[in-house]
Amino acid sequence: MLGEAWLYLFSVLAAAGLLFTMVFFIIMFSDLECDYINPIDLCNKLNKFILPEVGFHGFLTTLFLLSGQWLSLVINAPLLLFNANKVYHNNYFYDATEIFRTLSSHKKQSFIKLGFYLICFFFYLYKLIVALIKDE
Amino acid sequence: MATNTNLPPNWVEYSDPTTNQPYYVNTLTNQTQWEVPTAQSNQKARRQLANQQAQAYYSGGGGAAVQQPSQDTQPAQLFTPGGGDIQQQQQPMTQLNQQFSQFGVSQQHPQLSNQRPSANSTNLIGLHPNPNELENDPPAINLPPNATLSQSPTANAHPSFKRSTLNVIPTTQSLINKLKIPLALVLTPYRSIETGEDPIPVISDTVISRCRRCRTYINPYVTFLEGGTRWKCCICNLSNEVPQMFDWDPHTNQPADRFKRAELNNSVVEFVAPSEYMVRPPQPPVYAFLIDVSYTSIQSGMVATVARTILETLDRIPNDDGRTKICLIAVNHALHFFNLPPNSSDPNMLVVGDLDDPFLPTPNDLLVNLAECRAGIDNLLTNLSDMFINSSGPESAMGTALKAAVQLTSPFGGKIMVMTAQLPNVGQGALKNREDIKILGTSKESSLLQPQGGGFYKNLAIDCSRSQISVDMFLFGSPYQDVATLQCLPKYTSGATYFYPGFNASRIEDALKLAHELSVVLSSPIALEAVMRVRATRGVRMSEYHGNFFVRSTDLLAMPTVPIDQSYCAEITLEENLNVPFVVFQTAVLHTTCYGERRIRVITLSLPTSANPSEIYASADEKAIVTLLANKAVERSQSSKLEDARDAIMNKVVDIFGQYKAIMTAGGGASAQLMISDNLKHLPLLLLGLLKNVGIRQSSHIPSDLRAYAQTLLTTLPTQSLIPYLYPTLYSLHNMPIEAGTLSEDGLRLPPKLNLTIEKFERHGLYLIEDGQQIFLWIGRDAVPQLVVDVFNLPSLQDLRPGKITLPLLDNPMSEKVNGIVNKVRESRRGPYKPHVYLVKEDGDPSLRSWALSLLIEDRFEMGLSYTQWLSTLRDKINSGSYN
Repeated sequence: MLGEAWLYLFSVLAAAGLLFTMVFFIIMFSDLECDYINPIDLCNKLNKFILPEVGFHGFLTTLFLLSGQWLSLVINAPLLLFNANKVYHNNYFYDATEIFRTLSSHKKQSFIKLGFYLICFFFYLYKLIVALIKDE
Repeated sequence: MATNTNLPPNWVEYSDPTTNQPYYVNTLTNQTQWEVPTAQSNQKARRQLANQQAQAYYSGGGGAAVQQPSQDTQPAQLFTPGGGDIQQQQQPMTQLNQQFSQFGVSQQHPQLSNQRPSANSTNLIGLHPNPNELENDPPAINLPPNATLSQSPTANAHPSFKRSTLNVIPTTQSLINKLKIPLALVLTPYRSIETGEDPIPVISDTVISRCRRCRTYINPYVTFLEGGTRWKCCICNLSNEVPQMFDWDPHTNQPADRFKRAELNNSVVEFVAPSEYMVRPPQPPVYAFLIDVSYTSIQSGMVATVARTILETLDRIPNDDGRTKICLIAVNHALHFFNLPPNSSDPNMLVVGDLDDPFLPTPNDLLVNLAECRAGIDNLLTNLSDMFINSSGPESAMGTALKAAVQLTSPFGGKIMVMTAQLPNVGQGALKNREDIKILGTSKESSLLQPQGGGFYKNLAIDCSRSQISVDMFLFGSPYQDVATLQCLPKYTSGATYFYPGFNASRIEDALKLAHELSVVLSSPIALEAVMRVRATRGVRMSEYHGNFFVRSTDLLAMPTVPIDQSYCAEITLEENLNVPFVVFQTAVLHTTCYGERRIRVITLSLPTSANPSEIYASADEKAIVTLLANKAVERSQSSKLEDARDAIMNKVVDIFGQYKAIMTAGGGASAQLMISDNLKHLPLLLLGLLKNVGIRQSSHIPSDLRAYAQTLLTTLPTQSLIPYLYPTLYSLHNMPIEAGTLSEDGLRLPPKLNLTIEKFERHGLYLIEDGQQIFLWIGRDAVPQLVVDVFNLPSLQDLRPGKITLPLLDNPMSEKVNGIVNKVRESRRGPYKPHVYLVKEDGDPSLRSWALSLLIEDRFEMGLSYTQWLSTLRDKINSGSYN
């Protein structure tokens, strides 16, 4: 079944991309703490990445749904719901006026996402290999 | 003396001579307390004694034993309000100090921390609060001797500039967490200097000595090393070189005594900063007026009043060096710019109708020099109202106009003043009328207090802050102005919001109030392009800031202009345990004065440290605590719900009292008393005032505009004005003492303040209730006709019309006194506000009457508890909680 292998190859790359986005977020947050960047620039920079990140993750989850990868879907569902909730309540952008007050929670969130994407990355890699072996 | 056989050994019961309440004295330890001692408390008391009083006791013999009971009876004598009380209230403190000086403790053993007073417990149940005590100074700061190299009384900051919630800093964060009293600073760096007060010393020789590492400015708390060639920083302990010119007087060209330098003797000083402190040359003050000229504004007379006031104030706008620039944009469905070429008296109006992409119609002569174009500006302001007399339609493109004004002033920075009586409803940043009476008083109400409009105003505020522009809002709209959204701009650009609901210039009182406040704001000197930073001893960190500014980096607050008399809070956390005898907090505000000089205002506050809860409790400043909690409550109500904000206040006060009970009293189980340290005894009263304030109160009748405006006041008023705003003052005028209302050396004598309860009201009385924003004259239903004639110049009570009034000045002693008191009350509050005088008849207009009654916070009002109920609620909560 070639489709599954292709799907997971794409997922591995996607997870890697999301992983790097989170690393970038965390680096930017620590830059802010060390006063290398001002909150306005930081928010302008990061806000450009939020919707693509959410969208990309949503797209990936949809692919799992369409291809019937139930386990992967279940793993991704909580984050999808969390993101959807944020977008629905319209509070997904970083607010430069509040950023210092909410910085610790933003950082925590980014770290959790980082861990999640890392686990996903290896999980997809494993699934990719399994799929390739099954093919042969 | 009564005897109680159930007392543990060594305890004796006495009876208080003034209240006849029994109190208990331990003959062994000389401890006094109101509650009945148990065997357990006896042990605890001994432990406490060992901590606090051993030194005094053993060195002074029985001296303390005799005085202790008389101290505890002091509060009881304060029940009767009267003029002489103010000195009396200071007595426990001074007495205690005297007591120690008698023992010679402070002279002989200067290193002992015992010289700081320990907490004196007071039972609040049954104790009537005395409003006259609210004016008392916060607990004195007792620094260890030799902490400062200056003997000057101004070496530590006056509480009006900078105060801390605790005047003794706990040594560990766990102790702060345990005591539950929040640790924070209340800063008012730019408070107005009253007449008769010394001006702030200015150091003009540009010798600015700062620590190399932590950038602290030299202050009275540093120590000189190596024969005075180096100084040790009091914040990071680094040894720094003393600059060469430090001991030199540049005016006389002679050596000078460094110990006479202002920065070593004053906690509040201003340095004139050299060019290293400038990003660009000092900018001229810029004022941009955005005046709404829609139909409602013209009809209410707002435009005419504003234009006339600006015209009359033009000479007083800070413009000593003739650089001040002005621009004026009139806004309705389009933007009207005015081209004012120099030396021409004919303003040229340019109309821009494109609201989606505003552009400046001409590159120059829109923002003009006040002195050069005076004739044109005069002409424009005189005719402004008439120019738009035919303005019809309710459109206002204020959002777009703000964008254009930012574009126009951004090369300089400065101040944008918005005057609008109309909701911005076309163009960019258009707002909807979202007031919904059905959700007032419900949990959804806080959504009306959050900004709407998709972040337009927040983003604009950020742009403004970047370009060093601050925005002042003068809002007049009725029925709905959306104060909550529009106040975003002042909030993040360190401006101020002023609200005149139902403004109508045909009422002389409205016009006078606006003219007074606008002209005070316009003529007061402003500080431009300011940044503020608070530094503190190592291990102490500012964790959160509250107030009107933009946080530009973790510890840097950006304030495009610093308005006078605005207050900010900084919460403190301890990152490591303190092992120093005192900590230093230094606020530095780098700013440009409106006279084109770069200056740094430095305010240094030094506070002792201690690990002894009793000393810490005795040093708590209830007014600073309330200021902080008001800020936090407002933030809470905007981020979540109003109920949450009220619950948070309730929980905080329960925590503070509960922990006090557990730590400082016998604790253990339910108690019929509510004990707190004597210096915190007004805390429940003030917090009840906060809970009943328009900004926080549980009610379904408060329009969201009024709420939002009250919330801006709660977060910006300096403590001195905030306390009366929470706990208004009540004077009885018909039976005031003979000397009240007459002049003395300290100005007009005010009558004694009364408790805010209807019980105090007599049916024939005349009362004055005042909270700094409004003044109510309450006249009883049986007022004598002569009183009405004397004060209001009307034949009888029936002729009096309730509402806003101007008090006539008549030729009789009563009228002179009442006028004198009203004027004194108006003057005595910091800030530009000129409160309206409302006449309230006991049997008159019910809405006005209920408004006045809502200020009587010791009584029940709507869902608010009375003071006695509130205390017993607190006591029950503490008894049911686990505070042992």
